[in-house]
Amino acid sequence: MTLTAFPPPPPGADHDDLRQEVRAFLAEELADFPPEKRAESWNGFSRDFSRRLAQRGWVGMTFPEEYGGHARSALERYVVSEELLAAGAPVISHWIADRQSGPLILAKGTEDQKRQIVPRIAAGELCFCIGMSEPDSGSDLAATRTLATEVEGGFRVNGTKVWTTYAHVADYMILFCRTGKSEDRHGGMSQFLIDLKATENIQISPIIDLGGEHHFNQVIFDDTFLPSDALLGEQGEGWSQVISELAFERSGPERFLSSFALIEELIRVLRQDATEAQQAEIGRLSAHLMVLRQMSRSVAGMLNEGKNPALQAAIVKDLGALFEQDIPRLARSLVSRPAVPGGGDSYAAVLAYTALAVPSFSLRGGTREILRGIIARGLGLR
Amino acid sequence: MDSMIHDMAERLFRDHVSHGLREDAAAGQCPEPLWTQIEQAGLHMALVPEEAGGFGVPPAEALGLVRIAGAHGLPLPLAETLIGNAVLARAGLALPGGRLTIAEGEVLQLERRGGAVHASGHLTLVPFARWADRIVTIAALDGADHVLSLPVKDLTVTPAQDLAGMPRDDVAVDLDLPGANAAALPGSMGGMRGLGALVRSLATAGAMETILKMSVEYANDRVQFGRPIGKFQAIQQYLATMAGETAASRTAAEMAADSYDTPAFALTVAAAKIRAGDAAETVGALAHQVHGAIGYTQEHALHHFTKRIWSWRDEFGTELDWTRELGRAALSSPQGTFWHFITDSTAQGTPA
Repeated sequence: MTLTAFPPPPPGADHDDLRQEVRAFLAEELADFPPEKRAESWNGFSRDFSRRLAQRGWVGMTFPEEYGGHARSALERYVVSEELLAAGAPVISHWIADRQSGPLILAKGTEDQKRQIVPRIAAGELCFCIGMSEPDSGSDLAATRTLATEVEGGFRVNGTKVWTTYAHVADYMILFCRTGKSEDRHGGMSQFLIDLKATENIQISPIIDLGGEHHFNQVIFDDTFLPSDALLGEQGEGWSQVISELAFERSGPERFLSSFALIEELIRVLRQDATEAQQAEIGRLSAHLMVLRQMSRSVAGMLNEGKNPALQAAIVKDLGALFEQDIPRLARSLVSRPAVPGGGDSYAAVLAYTALAVPSFSLRGGTREILRGIIARGLGLR
Repeated sequence: MDSMIHDMAERLFRDHVSHGLREDAAAGQCPEPLWTQIEQAGLHMALVPEEAGGFGVPPAEALGLVRIAGAHGLPLPLAETLIGNAVLARAGLALPGGRLTIAEGEVLQLERRGGAVHASGHLTLVPFARWADRIVTIAALDGADHVLSLPVKDLTVTPAQDLAGMPRDDVAVDLDLPGANAAALPGSMGGMRGLGALVRSLATAGAMETILKMSVEYANDRVQFGRPIGKFQAIQQYLATMAGETAASRTAAEMAADSYDTPAFALTVAAAKIRAGDAAETVGALAHQVHGAIGYTQEHALHHFTKRIWSWRDEFGTELDWTRELGRAALSSPQGTFWHFITDSTAQGTPA
């Protein structure tokens, strides 16, 4: 398998019946959901929406039935995911758990962890956050300093996590931290499953982003006691566990559809009498979108076959971020209307929201530079 | 994809398509012996259905030969012959053998004269016309697409060339075609512009894979400031960008190849040609940046590949032609259904 070959998604990947069901559900659920809310894309939060989606069987779709899942393929899940994103549905409450935490628990968790947690994820009840970055450990994840020390009956954790999205509302955190010293930079790391509502000595405080939004948090662990059964997977194997999550995290449709609300607004404004130059730019945008979607579906197909397409996922995320970040520039080159935060005109409001959101797209989930470093290594640069 | 015909082509081109052969071809010399080997291997018939003399491989696999030819900078009309034979077979016309080329025929005037069709007009930038036995083209007659098989010996060919020095000739057409050389085209193949754009997109993806490989090798070998330049993060970022563009271009071209001869093809081929053109811009520029001055010389093989991808961008519909066409289709989708347009246009087609 060469780095530049993305095999076509398997036959039947379109799942038209499922797609039509999801579209009908969303048309009803989001009938009065305004464009400026849709612009929040997968950062939109609604526990109610996640629960109703789960009632349809569209959360935890790929999980085994014995853990409350629906035993459907990664490609069926893909159909639901992309329809949710294209509609700008508020999905973050279940998104992270459904995308990576649930699969991680299923792959590495104890039987008790699986039985207690996974069915509630599939019911759309649990919001997860990921405790990875630290003040001195951003792209350099191996520089993690937060330390869990073994004590009687469990661990005591000390350290600080930052940029922890939705920690202030989340039910659980998957914490990545040190559990021991190691000669190997990547050794001595572990993951923990933390019940945020039932654990004492965790201080969560907001970090407001430049758009005035509260998504990020700082999370301080101050001698926080975690019981032994909070350990997720093998002690000391945290690094390889995190790495195997990344193909799930990086290749999905959320890596190129984050600006889709602005694309919809742009098309709405241009629909009536587009000039040839405007038509051409919409044609270019469409081509890039069609191709990114095909690449992302290809990775979903590889994941479905149990392969580890980490390199292809890095390529999808790098190209996807370039695409979704470019939409405000493109809109401005085609339509002469200023961005107005919360403006009366939905185009102006969506442009404003999206323009302030896009710088984060090549930071979250692995910076552009990190992704390209991974690709370069895959190319055999010594 | 494991493919016997791909392995065969890979071996044949690796053994025979050298820098010298590409140089000689750019200087005007047709590599006849290599064509004979291609014909002996039967590669030129791969896109023809089994009942018409092909091997019965799926079209996407047959079209994969074009990517491989592109990866080797093959200076022969293999892509054109594959398409030409497939179109002739579909129209029920004789497969004459030999080298074929293809041209967009909409510029030709056709009229019925007795039992024959008279064709007249001017074809420009016809690939390899002077090395070809026939030009296969598609033009409208009585409101329906018709395939014409034009014997080059009966045409007036004026040599011209593309950026890579490959023949792109002017052809004056003024002849009567008997029924054996003109017939209606059934099915969903579309016009020659789309078919040409498909093979150019595939060849571009192949050429870019070679450009990427050459650039990685050069970056690993070339030492400056005491270490290989591939150790520098700036160079690594360039190469990673090239890999992404190459992968996107290949995915796009293969998506179009997968929908060959289905209704979905009209839009997937537009996406493929647009994506190939955009990638050619970035990959060509970065490859030369990585290679430095040596890559800008005639002596170095890089230019055969970069000049090809720059030429192919403009052929069988420029990027502006294709972006406008796809944009018009996108903007004419009903209000609020742009997303449906995207999912429908990339849905897997069912073979016609």
